[in-house]
Amino acid sequence: MFGRLSGAIFVSAAVMFAAGCGSMETIDEVQRGDGEGAIELAEFPDRPYWGDTHLHTDNSVDAFGFGVRLGPEEALRFASGEEVTATTGLDAQLARPLDFLVIADHSDGLGATRRLYDAPRLGVQAMGDDTLLRWYDMMHESPQQSQLAISELITAAANGSLPEALSDPERQEENTRDIWTTQLDILDRYNKPGEFTALAGFEWTLMPGGNNLHRVVMFRDGSERTSQTLPFPGLSTTAEQLWDYMAAYAENTGGRALAIPHNSNLSNGLMFEMTLPDGSPMTAEYAAKRAAAEPVIEATQIKGDSESHPFLSPNDEMAGFGDAGWDFGNLPMTAETTPEMYGGNYAREALKRGLSLEAQLGVNPYAFGMIGSTDSHTALATGDENNFWGKHTGNEQANEDRAMRPQNLGTRQGRFGWHYLAGGYAAAWARGNTRAEIFDAFARREVYATTGPRMSVRVFGGFDFLEDDWNDDWVRSGYTRGVPMGGELIDAGLAPRFMISALKDPDGANLDRAQIIKGWIDSSGGLQEQVYDVVWSDMEDRVRAAGKVPAVGDTVDRAAATYANTIGAAELRTVWTDPDYEPGQRAFYYVRVIEIPTPRWTLFDAVRFGITLSEDALANSVAQERAYTSPIWLNPGPEAGL
Amino acid sequence: MREPLVHFLVAGAAIFALFAWRGEPVDPSSRTIIVDQVVQAQIVQRFEQTLGRVPTDAELDQQIEQFVRDEVLYREALRLGLDQDDIVVRRRLATKMDLAASAAAEAAVPSEEVLRDWYSENISRYASAERVDFDQIYFGKLAGAEEALRLLRDSADWEALGDPISLPSSLVRSADQDIRDRFGTEFTENLKQMEQGSDWQGPIPSGFGWHLVRVTRRQTSEASDFDDVRSQVENDWRSSNIAERKETAYELLRAAYRVEVRK
Repeated sequence: MFGRLSGAIFVSAAVMFAAGCGSMETIDEVQRGDGEGAIELAEFPDRPYWGDTHLHTDNSVDAFGFGVRLGPEEALRFASGEEVTATTGLDAQLARPLDFLVIADHSDGLGATRRLYDAPRLGVQAMGDDTLLRWYDMMHESPQQSQLAISELITAAANGSLPEALSDPERQEENTRDIWTTQLDILDRYNKPGEFTALAGFEWTLMPGGNNLHRVVMFRDGSERTSQTLPFPGLSTTAEQLWDYMAAYAENTGGRALAIPHNSNLSNGLMFEMTLPDGSPMTAEYAAKRAAAEPVIEATQIKGDSESHPFLSPNDEMAGFGDAGWDFGNLPMTAETTPEMYGGNYAREALKRGLSLEAQLGVNPYAFGMIGSTDSHTALATGDENNFWGKHTGNEQANEDRAMRPQNLGTRQGRFGWHYLAGGYAAAWARGNTRAEIFDAFARREVYATTGPRMSVRVFGGFDFLEDDWNDDWVRSGYTRGVPMGGELIDAGLAPRFMISALKDPDGANLDRAQIIKGWIDSSGGLQEQVYDVVWSDMEDRVRAAGKVPAVGDTVDRAAATYANTIGAAELRTVWTDPDYEPGQRAFYYVRVIEIPTPRWTLFDAVRFGITLSEDALANSVAQERAYTSPIWLNPGPEAGL
Repeated sequence: MREPLVHFLVAGAAIFALFAWRGEPVDPSSRTIIVDQVVQAQIVQRFEQTLGRVPTDAELDQQIEQFVRDEVLYREALRLGLDQDDIVVRRRLATKMDLAASAAAEAAVPSEEVLRDWYSENISRYASAERVDFDQIYFGKLAGAEEALRLLRDSADWEALGDPISLPSSLVRSADQDIRDRFGTEFTENLKQMEQGSDWQGPIPSGFGWHLVRVTRRQTSEASDFDDVRSQVENDWRSSNIAERKETAYELLRAAYRVEVRK
């Protein structure tokens, strides 16, 4: 009898909840929607919009444990330029607001650590799980103990040994629904077409054996569609199931979602394999599914950069930015990374592998564009070197010695605070700032990555571009006579030409050079790559010698953490023709733009807080920040066959 | 019918009647678990909702196995009375109720006066951003900009002047953030000081170099009328009052109880 009555109460409560939602219709329809038709759009994408697609708040199981107490609302306020008080008590604000934000909390155990933390101790005891109870006690003991508990939790997730209370999706579903619904409402409230775009998303956290296969899933739609789904769990699912989930969402709601893999650098070769996950040969079906679901990868973020590795690109003197500390093990350092794994870890090699797979299967699973983001777990989306708030609350600015402190992820093996990057940004070429426009830019790969600075980078591929085009409306020429970044050219028997423009960050450093990175299959089926310096500052003085452009110089004052724009250029642009083109060749071309040397966050910390960096850390405290565009592919025509 | 308690009781009674009509639900004391077609259909449907396809036979078996496992443990837990005096279960139900109750409170309609007060207190939220139309000519070096300014005073063609750079020479109805993103902070701050008019002004510096600027139109920030943004005001008022409304909903329920705290 008791059971039946309580059942009745449950259901009536649910009915009432639904009725409650119905009364919310007074909310602005425009903000709730995908932004189509909401604002006047430019004829062509006329500027890059800046955003972070990878931000965690206190709803993330690890972020809360690391100490963050700011939620989605504070995250949106910060990203849109308002001042907020960081968890550790200092005021935080962006010098320049972002244009868009994806809140990407872990779908697994969404809100679970907060619930665990808030639960009475007796209740946790009653659950009869010693590990859970120990973590509970650690979380309440001190911030340091709490961070330790979460490191254990990440390792347990990596090893598949999470307590059932945290890993069972059925148990989580109801809590997830509550958090998701609330979050969608908040996103709509901050979504202002033309001013600021708030996108729904989550992080899918598959991590077999600690090898990082994480994806951020981002949605194009407002809450009327996104409320019809729930974040898909990562533990004990597969990437293919995730893609099915996304396809089902599109089918059921008419909305759209895409997935953005990240930290391939910590995947121990699994992110971009030549085979299926079980080792059997790649199939066209799998490749097509992946290509459709994952048009873009996150190539740079706080936990290192995945563009290139010197082992794979020995002739690229600028390869390996942000690899230090991240290239010898997987995410929690439960397994070592060996050189034969690098091919599956780095984006450039994956783009090459994609060409090879496409030649075999007719579909390229790795025809992706590139973006940067933060992966910040502080609810503060900042990739700025002089405004770094740490990977998580345990290394916010209040912890002044964070650069030299051991960190949670594999410190015994030699990963320290200074190995963490300040994080990057995603730039999207769009006709206006709405959910639909930003999402569609991602879908067509007209996006690029930066390691933090906001330089404007354009590249168009075609066959008839000339230097004279700069004198006219060259953007129109680019779109009408060629394709923008992310596009495909069909081989026409002519060497492809690229119209490249890189404009410095107006509040940042000058530019050293712009490069084209080409990858291709040679006539014997081998994969090749070549880095071309195509335009650089002071070209008359910096004459190429022995095939190399002389270094731009270094104006960084190590004692003051300052630099001077007395070297480098405000803009670099050129029309470049591939000198090594061969008809029928399958190739990709992307642009890498390099800034002059500037201080990293570690040098700013050293000067601000008066801490001493170790010799290694000091040598690493100045860097040439950069941008990576999405590639343009050159594919054989249909008559060339497969 | 804006009284949540009434909603609640009516809906509760309806559901109770439905359960009574459907007959006895699963008896927790029974040791027979029947996974019939109806249950299986529910399992399949749930799988399909998430993945957009029907499960394979192997996946269905796995789902059924999971269902049986949960059911066995659930019944044993009830048999042992683990739902009684369990602080977690109790709290979970309370949270669920709290959420449901506060959702019901969403139905509350604020008075015109309340909304107008809220609007006045938060007027800056309803103001449009200031927008500027301007033309600019870029120069790599200061001397070039100064020379060009002299030429412009002799009515030279402005579009033929300046050094090449990939920046727009004209922007219309541009808000602060857009200008900042394109031209940087220094330029944006300088632009704010400039008068509207047909004269070229400057040069002003930016991260790129120097600019001569002509501000052709300036639309100052204006607050929207209450009637135009009424729904947004109501929305903002609601979201800023979630905690308060939860409390109100609780008070409503609480009022039906008599509580004695004995010493």
